[in-house]
Order: sequence, then structure tokens, then C-alpha cells
Amino acid sequence: MFSLYFGHYLLNRGLITPDQLTDALDLTESVHLKLGVLAVNAGYMTASRVGKVHQMQTKVDRMFGELAIELGFLTKKQLDDLLSTQKQGHLLLGQALVDKDYLSLEQLQVALDEYKKAYGLSEGQIYKLQQGDVDEIVNTFVRIADSPEKALYTFYISLMLRNVIRFIDNSPRVESSQIPEKLNAEWLVWQEITGSVNLFTAIAAEEPVFMDLARRYSGQGLLEPDELAQASVAEFLNLHNGLFLVNMSNNGVELEMKPQLIGQNKTVTGLGTGCIVPVYLRSGRFDVIISDSNPAL
Amino acid sequence: MKPLRILVCDDSLLVRSRLKESLKQCGDFEVFEAQDGQAAIDMYKQYQPELVFLDIVMPLRDGIEALQTIKEYDTRAKVVMVSSAGTQSHLRKAIEAGATDFIQKPWEQHQILSIIAKAVKEKEE
Repeated sequence: MFSLYFGHYLLNRGLITPDQLTDALDLTESVHLKLGVLAVNAGYMTASRVGKVHQMQTKVDRMFGELAIELGFLTKKQLDDLLSTQKQGHLLLGQALVDKDYLSLEQLQVALDEYKKAYGLSEGQIYKLQQGDVDEIVNTFVRIADSPEKALYTFYISLMLRNVIRFIDNSPRVESSQIPEKLNAEWLVWQEITGSVNLFTAIAAEEPVFMDLARRYSGQGLLEPDELAQASVAEFLNLHNGLFLVNMSNNGVELEMKPQLIGQNKTVTGLGTGCIVPVYLRSGRFDVIISDSNPAL
Repeated sequence: MKPLRILVCDDSLLVRSRLKESLKQCGDFEVFEAQDGQAAIDMYKQYQPELVFLDIVMPLRDGIEALQTIKEYDTRAKVVMVSSAGTQSHLRKAIEAGATDFIQKPWEQHQILSIIAKAVKEKEE
């Protein structure tokens, strides 16, 4: 998932083209990781140190990690970390971009350093992002405005991202967004949560993404936004909210939820305090909405 | 022996369809469907099913209300609550109202199989 976020950063900076990003992401699914790129990605080695080890490897038949430790460029623990990541079988975007000659290793390192600065990320946080740590992803990429319910909204969004990964798509990408005065939704599924806090929760999507959500959640080849397709997206929200209630209940907060509702071509106004989080799937974007007041629909 | 009569009640067409599919994998049953709490009560009285799978969050009358009414009508009714909201409060209310079991969505097939096996055994006895 980290590849998606870093890739879009490179795209927004104009360092790579959309085609190059797609090409590199495709490659990440099939090629084996190289330790040198992993070491740069993890911030353990500079590009020039990786270059030195590669240079030595042209003269001696020895493993990259072994040489890097001998030269004092890596610790044993760092090498173990890298080998563990390598075993996961995912090629990082950085290596794909370098392999494709879209970026040099030096350009990759500069971009990665700037990326860390832009998001104020430590090496530890980068590592967590690369491991797909959902809480870290939400804390880094979703800006939720300060309010008494900020922690609750953050938890809700993290759980939603986990459920998207579990039930819909294993590599979604989230972003930040401001609550607009007016939101036009081609399809809107919503559900109220009541109790010590009253929440309005919803999923808004254009029809192609709505249908993609319906197909993926139901596991059926749905073609039209018929009752089953609508029930599928609604049940996904209902399931997510149910799991949210269970988590809250386990923390001593008992909440109730009302039956989920579905509407087409809805204009939503008066969302109050809360957040809208765009979630990007391969098919496009849907919005997750959580707010402390019931909007006009 | 006549097949087990089972009532499936959930406001979601998808959930009813998935539950029916799960039941189909367990054997041949006579399955009735309801999409809200009131319809579940009406259908229980009409068909006297030997097992009920009942959602909690539903329009008109919720699952807990439906469970209470069904148990008042028939104290021997076997009702399994199936909900995504397995909160302490819902569990307590379901137990107090006499639910036979509680399944948290999404369910695993073995949970349905175990409930069916028990119901079939009780019918045979």
C-alpha cells in the first residue's frame, strides 16, 4: 500500500507520468526485491553506499547483505528486517521505477527524503507504512479537523480501511478532504448511529464505483444497480458499523444503529463537524462520511 | 421425516441470499424469508418454523422485539440472532429474551452447520 501513496506523491510532483506509475505498479506485483533498493527505501543505506556494495560484488562472489555488514553499512538486525520484507514478495515501487529507468537510484533517494520531510515521517513511521500499518496510514494521510470526536472519527476511518482491505480491495488508498457545504452523490448509502454520541455515517459513490463495491462485497457478477447491488453496498456499511459498535461496546460505550438506507441522486447539506475520506480503489473513488449531525438529504 | 422448516429474517436481500446458500450447503430444508421484524412474527405464526435466523437492526420492528413476541407466542421457539452488532447490550437483551444462540456477522459456515446439526438432532428426538 505504501507504494500507492509514494507513487501518487511522485505523480503529483511531476517526477513520473501516470503511465509510468501504472507500469511500475504492475511490475511490483511480479518481480523479486533487490536488497539495495530495499535498504534505500528503509533509510538504512544511501544510494552511494549501495553503489559501493554493487561495485564490490562485480569483483567478489559474495552476498549483498554480507558485504554491507562487513563494510559497516548495515547491522545484522537491519539485514534481517530487509530479508523479512524481501520474503513478503512485494516489489517496492522504488525498485520498479529504477528497473524501468524512470528514476535513477539517486533521484529515488532524493524524492523519498523529500517525501519523508513533506509528511514529517521518521524512519520508524516509514517502516510501519511499508508494512501496511493501517493506523499509521490514517494518521499520516487523513487530516481530521480538531473536535471532541476526533479520536472517534480517526478510529472509525481506520476500521473502515481495515474492512475495505478485508472485504473489498487489498490495496485501497485514502486521502484527506474537507467537508463540503453541499455533496452531490449519485448513490448514497447511509446509517445513523445513536447513543452517547449521535453519528451520521455514509458511503457516497458514482455508479461505476458503487457497482464495483457491490460486486466485490457480494462476490457476484452484478450488472445493474438493482436491489441486490444496493443491498450489497448497504450491507457492507451495516457490517462495518456493526463491527464499530462491537469495538465501542468492548470499550464500555454502548451505541445503537438504525437500519441502513439507500438513495440515488442525493444532495447532502449541513454535514456539521466530521470528516469525508476519499477511498481510492482500482475502479475509482468512493467517499466515507462520518459526521456528528444528521444532514439534510 | 419432513425437512426442517427454517425462517430467515434480515432486511438485506444479500444476507438472506447468503444465509440460504449457507443452509443449502447443510442439507435440504423448507426455507421461508422475511425482511423485517413484523414479517418475521407473522410468518412464524403462519408456518411454525422449527428454527429462526433473526437479524437485530431492521425496520418496523427490530430483531429483539420480534424475538420477544415470538417467544411470548411460543416459549419453545428456537431463535438464533444473526447480527453485525454483537454488542454487550445486544447479547444481554437477546439472552434475556430467550435467544438460542448469537452469531456475529460475517459468519463462518461451520457456525451454521453446528446450529443445523443440533436442530436436526432435536427434531429426530
